[in-house]
Amino acid sequence: MYLFDLGDRPWEQSMLIFHALARLGVEGIDIVSPKTPFVSIGYFQDAKQEVDLEYCRKERLPVFRREIGGGTVYLDNNQIFYHIIWNRENGHFPKKISTIYEHLSAAPIETYGEFGIKARFREVNDVMTNEGRKIAGLGGGDIAESMVFVGSLILDIDYEKMTRAIKVPDEKFRDKIFKTMKENVTSMKGELGIIPPRDEIVRVLKEKYEKTLGKLESVNLNDDIIRKITELGAIFNSPEFLFQKTPRIPKGVKIKEGIEIIYGMYKAKGGLIKSAQEIENSIIKYIDISGDFTFFPKNRLPDLEETIRDTKRKDKDIIPKIKEFYEKSGAQSPGVEPQDITKAIGAGK
Amino acid sequence: MDIRGYNMPEDLYYEENHFWIRDEGDTLVMGMDDFAQLLAGEIVYVQLPDEGKELKAGKKFAKIESGKWLGKVYAPVSGELIAVNEELETNPGLINDDCYGKGWMFKIKPSDKGELDNLMRTVEEIDTWLAEEIEKYVTE
Repeated sequence: MYLFDLGDRPWEQSMLIFHALARLGVEGIDIVSPKTPFVSIGYFQDAKQEVDLEYCRKERLPVFRREIGGGTVYLDNNQIFYHIIWNRENGHFPKKISTIYEHLSAAPIETYGEFGIKARFREVNDVMTNEGRKIAGLGGGDIAESMVFVGSLILDIDYEKMTRAIKVPDEKFRDKIFKTMKENVTSMKGELGIIPPRDEIVRVLKEKYEKTLGKLESVNLNDDIIRKITELGAIFNSPEFLFQKTPRIPKGVKIKEGIEIIYGMYKAKGGLIKSAQEIENSIIKYIDISGDFTFFPKNRLPDLEETIRDTKRKDKDIIPKIKEFYEKSGAQSPGVEPQDITKAIGAGK
Repeated sequence: MDIRGYNMPEDLYYEENHFWIRDEGDTLVMGMDDFAQLLAGEIVYVQLPDEGKELKAGKKFAKIESGKWLGKVYAPVSGELIAVNEELETNPGLINDDCYGKGWMFKIKPSDKGELDNLMRTVEEIDTWLAEEIEKYVTE
């Protein structure tokens, strides 16, 4: 397989490269970092719905819609991307998606290990430290006749920018996303206190990938690839592609497997109720309720939130707790019934 | 009908990318088969192209996402896309819950129903094919 060790490249090229190689049917791995920061969204995301575009404009953060699944991420020079591209018929690669993820994340896991960070693969597509913090984002897709696996070694994370780039239904939810992300996502700097020399990290990563992929032949981008990147740049940058509307309603932010922040909203007779919940393995670990409905006495709302904590995210488990809260506390919310609050949590039966 | 541990109803046609087709006269209904939905895991999004789209047998016409992997949906026959299951827009998990029922994906008006003969139909054909697919995807 070919190895494109590209170092730092213009941000756009750092993403277009694998889209181009996949379309050209070039089998190989590219290792690259973006020179400047940008925001990347999943193929099925609607940029206007999921990205704080005003913030991005102010911060001069470009947005890129990748042909890969997953959610909104802020990416910068503190990430080393690895993209592996192979023909779907290539018998040296697993066919099953979950096996592909595991097989191709062995090299980055071992690379972390060489620098003293013990990490492991966790289904479906996470790399976690032994303490359970996510330390790599993985994704993939079928592009043209190729299969593409993408991932990153995280040298350092700018949690604030990562959180700011995401559009949230209520500003007060942003702080929760920030905290949950900080608790659950880490980096080499977070684990080691320093960032090891980049050249050294890339050298180890290449060595580890040779174990998985066989001998890698180091090559440069040729004219065909550069032409393809330019051609795709025009398409991926066009407003029609970048801002393509999708009917997907943003439901929240997945922090790592098993942990996500979910938003809910419901218009009751008494007003709009909004919620943001931190869900850990189907349990509501934290909930923030807001909106424009009347709740009296106002200072009891945190008690209602407290009542709902550590409850299974199922209507049948939530409703009795809310009812009991109203009965015991004497709190009132005209036009907002316990069922309405449950609907704003949006758990389902 | 259970074939090698997968639910593969016998009144359907199957194509090699694991989409099933039900013949309803002038219309064909298609969806993802049990093998594929189990392998894909939780389906989080299905692209529902505009009705009227021209389909060409074996060519990609939509995308589908599960586990951050973006996969493709291939047309089993040539024809015109005449309906999409709009419920999948908000609840793509229907494909996991009921892939042959509520999780149907598209309705197609075929340009040549004879193309159905290229698909798999008999228990023997499906069994042989599934055995190969299990070898390829499941037992690695």
